Amino acid sequence: MAQRPGKANGVLVLGGGITGIQAALDLAASQAKVYLVEKTPSLGGRMAQLDKTFPTMDCAI
Amino acid sequence: MMDAGRHPNIEVLTNSELVRFEGRAGNFRATVKKYPRYVDEALCTGCGQCVNDCPVIVPNEFEVGMGARKAIYSPFPQAVPNTYIIDRVNCLNDQFLVCTNCQKSCDRDAIRYDDIGEEIELHVGAVVVATGFDVYEASRIPSYGYGLYHNVLTNMELERVLNASGPTRGHIVRPSDHKVPKKIAFIQCVGSRGEGKEAGCEYCSRFCCMNAVKDCMLVKQHEPDIEELLLFYIDLRAAGKGFEEFYQRSLDMPELKYIRGRPSKIMEDPETKDIFVYVEDVETGKVDKIRVSMAILSAGAVAAAANPDLANVLGIELDENGFFEVETRYGSPLHTARQGVYICGCAAGVNDVSDSVSQGSGAAAEAEKFIEKIPVETEPVEIKELDTSGPPKVGVFLCHCGINIAGVLDIDSLKEYAESIPDVAYVENNLFLCSDEGQRLMQNKVVEHGLNRVVAAACTPRTHEPVFQESCEQIGLNPYLFEMVNVRDQCSWVHTGVPEIATEKAKEMIKLGVAKARHLQPLYRKSIPVNQSALIIGGGVAGMAAALELDAQGMKVYLIEKEGRLGGRLNNLTRVYPANLSAFELARVMVEKVKASRVEAMAGTEVTGITGYVGNFDVATTNGNFKVGTIVLATGAGIYEPKDEFGYGKFDNVITNQELEDILHDTKGKIQIHGDTPKNVVFIQCVGSRDAETNPGCSRYCCPTTIKQAIRLRESGVNVTVLHRDMRTVGAKAEEHYRRARELGVKFLRYTPQRLPLVTGKDNRATSVEILELALDRILDVDTDYVVLAAGMVPNEASTAKLQDILKVPRGADGFFMERHAKLGPVETTSEGVFLAGCVSGPKDIADSLAQGSAAAAKVASIISRDTVNLEPTTCIIEPSLCRACSMCVDMCEYHAPSLVDIAPGLRAAQINQALCKGCGTCASWCPTGAIVALHFTDQQINSMLDALLLDRV
Repeated sequence: MAQRPGKANGVLVLGGGITGIQAALDLAASQAKVYLVEKTPSLGGRMAQLDKTFPTMDCAI
Repeated sequence: MMDAGRHPNIEVLTNSELVRFEGRAGNFRATVKKYPRYVDEALCTGCGQCVNDCPVIVPNEFEVGMGARKAIYSPFPQAVPNTYIIDRVNCLNDQFLVCTNCQKSCDRDAIRYDDIGEEIELHVGAVVVATGFDVYEASRIPSYGYGLYHNVLTNMELERVLNASGPTRGHIVRPSDHKVPKKIAFIQCVGSRGEGKEAGCEYCSRFCCMNAVKDCMLVKQHEPDIEELLLFYIDLRAAGKGFEEFYQRSLDMPELKYIRGRPSKIMEDPETKDIFVYVEDVETGKVDKIRVSMAILSAGAVAAAANPDLANVLGIELDENGFFEVETRYGSPLHTARQGVYICGCAAGVNDVSDSVSQGSGAAAEAEKFIEKIPVETEPVEIKELDTSGPPKVGVFLCHCGINIAGVLDIDSLKEYAESIPDVAYVENNLFLCSDEGQRLMQNKVVEHGLNRVVAAACTPRTHEPVFQESCEQIGLNPYLFEMVNVRDQCSWVHTGVPEIATEKAKEMIKLGVAKARHLQPLYRKSIPVNQSALIIGGGVAGMAAALELDAQGMKVYLIEKEGRLGGRLNNLTRVYPANLSAFELARVMVEKVKASRVEAMAGTEVTGITGYVGNFDVATTNGNFKVGTIVLATGAGIYEPKDEFGYGKFDNVITNQELEDILHDTKGKIQIHGDTPKNVVFIQCVGSRDAETNPGCSRYCCPTTIKQAIRLRESGVNVTVLHRDMRTVGAKAEEHYRRARELGVKFLRYTPQRLPLVTGKDNRATSVEILELALDRILDVDTDYVVLAAGMVPNEASTAKLQDILKVPRGADGFFMERHAKLGPVETTSEGVFLAGCVSGPKDIADSLAQGSAAAAKVASIISRDTVNLEPTTCIIEPSLCRACSMCVDMCEYHAPSLVDIAPGLRAAQINQALCKGCGTCASWCPTGAIVALHFTDQQINSMLDALLLDRV
C-alpha cells in the first residue's frame, strides 16, 4: 500500500454501543489502532439492556 | 462486546469523554478525559467481594431503576471491562464517619479513594461518532400517568423485566401487587410522531413497533397464563428484512389484538391499581375505555443530551432534532461537514440494530482512508501449549444463562450427574459462563485441575463457541479440545413445560458431549496467502460506494456492471430523498469519481464463472479473467411487475411508480403524463409487497417514494389520494415528509387486504377507484385520471440465481441473499470472503445502500489489508492408501473441494483442497472405503457418542 507520511495510525471511536463496537472491530481487523471511548463504566450500550432481538430472537448481549 | 475488550488493537477507555479536539483529517489531536473509577483496572479481578461489604444500596441505572446496586458495583454481569467502579455521589467514604469497607475487603488492594482520573492525549487520523440516543422520558406526557401510576411501565423497563438476569428474574409481574398481569396494553408512539411540543418528537422512532411485537411474543412465552395483549398503534411499521414476516407470525397469537388508535389518556383505578386506557379505534370509530392490568409505553428515541457539548468539541453541527447533522451532499448517511469525522448508528437519527451495524462498518471504512495502517506492535504473546497427551481429564461447565437454562433445568441434578461420568475430573456451574468472570473461572479451573478437555453445557455454539474457544486458546489449551452442548435451545427453551424431562435430556446430551470430548484431537489453523484485491459485482450506488472506499484505501478493485453504463437504479430516478438531491447529479458525480480513480470499471460485463476460496478467487468474465481475494455482491434487486392487479394492463392510465418516475424524469419536472396534465391521481401502496403469494416482505422503499412523488404532484396542484395499509415512512426525515404531504392536502385512506381497492373505468381508461372507508363503513368513489401502483422490490431472479449457483451463497425464503446474521452480520455471508451490499440482500433506500457499500468495503479491507488469512482446520482429509479413486466425493461435493490427482506414477487418489472444504462431512459419510476423515467429527468421535446414547456405554 502507498505510504502517506505524517498520518496518524489511530482512529477514535466515540461510543461503545453496538455501532461503535462494530466500527472498532472492523478498524482493528484492518490493522488500525482504535481508541474506543465510552462515557459509562461499561461497553454494551442500549443493546446490552435488551432481552432478545427481533426477528431472530437471539440473545441481545 | 467481549471481542472489542479483548482485541489487541483496541484500547477501551470507559468512563471517559472527549474534551478537546483539533487538527485536520489524517492528523487530529484528541484529548480524552478519563474520569476516576476509584478502582485500579490493572488490579481488580471483578471478584465482587467489595460489593458484599458495601453498606450503601441505591437504584441500579442498568435496570432502569427497578433493581438495586451498591455504591461500588459492576453495571451488569457481562460488563466490559469487569472492573468495579465506585459511585462517589453515594459512597460513604467522604462522609463524617469514613467508610472503608471495600478497601478492607479487597484482597488485591485495588481501591483508590484518591483517584483523580487522567487526561489522555491521542493522535488519530479520523473520528467515528457512535454515541447513540437517549430514551424519551415518558413522564413528559402527563396524560399517560407514567411515574404516577404503579402499573404503567416503559418498553425499556419491560426489557429488563423480561430479562433472566433482570430485577424479577424474567417473571412478569405488576409492580403494585407482584402478581402476573392478566391483560397488558402496549401503547405505541410515546414521544414519537408527536403533534405539538408536549407530545415529543415529530419523527418516527422506527424500532418501537417491532420491539413491541417482539415483547408481546416474549411476554406470552414467559407467562403462558396471560389472557390478553392489546397493542395500540397508528401504523404498524414492520419495515426491515424479515420484519413483516415476523409481524405476520404474531397475528397467529390468539391473545394478541392489534387496535389502530392512539390512546388519549390513561387512568388508574385507585382500588385495584388496574389501568384504564381511553382510546378511539379509528377503524371502527368506537370510543372506548378499556381496563387492563398493566400498560407498557413504547417510549421513542431522542437525541442524546450530551450531543450539544460533543458537537461543540468536534466542531460539527446538530440538526433540528438535536441529532448530529448529516452532510447529505454525497447521499451517504455517514458524512459530517468536517472531513475525517463520521457518524453512524443513532447518533445521526434513529436506526435499528442491523442498519446501525452496517453504518458502523461503513464509518470504519470511511475512517480508514485517513490513517496510516501499520501493524500495531501487539503481536500475540507466545502461549505455551498445554500438554494434553495423557488420559482424558474432562471439565464440565454448566451455564445458568440467568434463568434461560436454570429456570427450567435442575442444575444441581445436572452437576451431580456430570460428576458421575467417568473421566470427568471437575464440574462447575455459573450464572453467566460467557461473562468475563465466567470465562476466567473456566480458565483457572482448567489450569488448577490439569484438565485437558472442556465441555460447556450452555447456549448456542453459533454465537458463543468462538468465545469459549478463544478462552481455551489464551491458556494454551487447543481450542478444538472444547465441546459445546446446547442445553438452552435444545432443552430449556423447547421443553419449558416439562422441566424433569428437559433435565433428563440435558443429562443425556452432557453424556454425549463428554463421550465425544474424550476423543477430541488438537487441530491447528492453517494460513494461506491473500490476493490483495476485490471484485465488486454490480455498478449501482452500493457497488460504486464500495469500490471508491477501497480505492481510497489503496486497494486494487475490479468493478463490473452488466448494463452498458454504471449507476444502476439511480439512472431511473429523478430526485433522491430526504435531501432532495438530483439522482442524475448523484449518479454523475459517483461515476466520474469511479472513472477518475484506479478502479478497473467494466460496464457491459458479466461474470461467467468463479472458482477458488477466500483470498484466492479465479474470476472469469465476458471481458477477461483475473484473480481477486474477495468478492462483493451488489447486483441490486428487481421491481415487481404487476400482472393484472388494479386494472394494470387493462387501463392505459394505471401505471407503476417507476413509470411515473420515468415520466417525471422525461418531462423535466412538468407534471404531464402522456401529454396531459392530470387533475386527480390515486396511489395504491403494497402492490407486490406484504402479500403471501407475490412477496411476503415489506419493500420499505415504496412508502417514502410515494410521499416524494405525491408532494411533487400536489405542489403542482394535482389532487392526490394515497390508499395504503400502513404508512411506513421509516427512513431519515421520511415521517416529516409524510406530515408535509398531509399539510399540503394529500389525502390518505387505509384499505385492508380483505377488501382491496377496486379500479373501475371505461374502455381503456380508469376513471375511479372504489374503497371501503373503514371508520365510516361506507364505500367511497375517488375520481382519478391516473392510478399509480407502488410496486414492491423483489429479488432480481436471473442474476441472483446465477450468482447463487456460482458462489453457493444461500438465499432466504424471500429469495434475497441471506446475511450471516440478520443483526450482527448484515453485509457478510456464510461464504468467507464473499460480502453483500445494497438491495441484493433485501429492499433498501439509496442512503442505506451507500452505507452498506462502505460497510462491505470495511469487511473486504479487513481481509485484503493482510498478507494471509487463517483457515478453519475442521475440514475433511483423505488417507490416500485407503482411497480407490472412485471419484464419488468429487461428484458430490457442493464446493468442488476434492479432485483426483496422481499420487505416484499410475496411482490416482482423491485429494481435498483444504481452503475450499467447508467440513460438512458429506463426502466422509459416503466414502465407501472410509478413506475420508471429517476432522472434529471423526467416526470414532461420533461412534462414541452413539455408544453413549444407544448402549449407555459411558
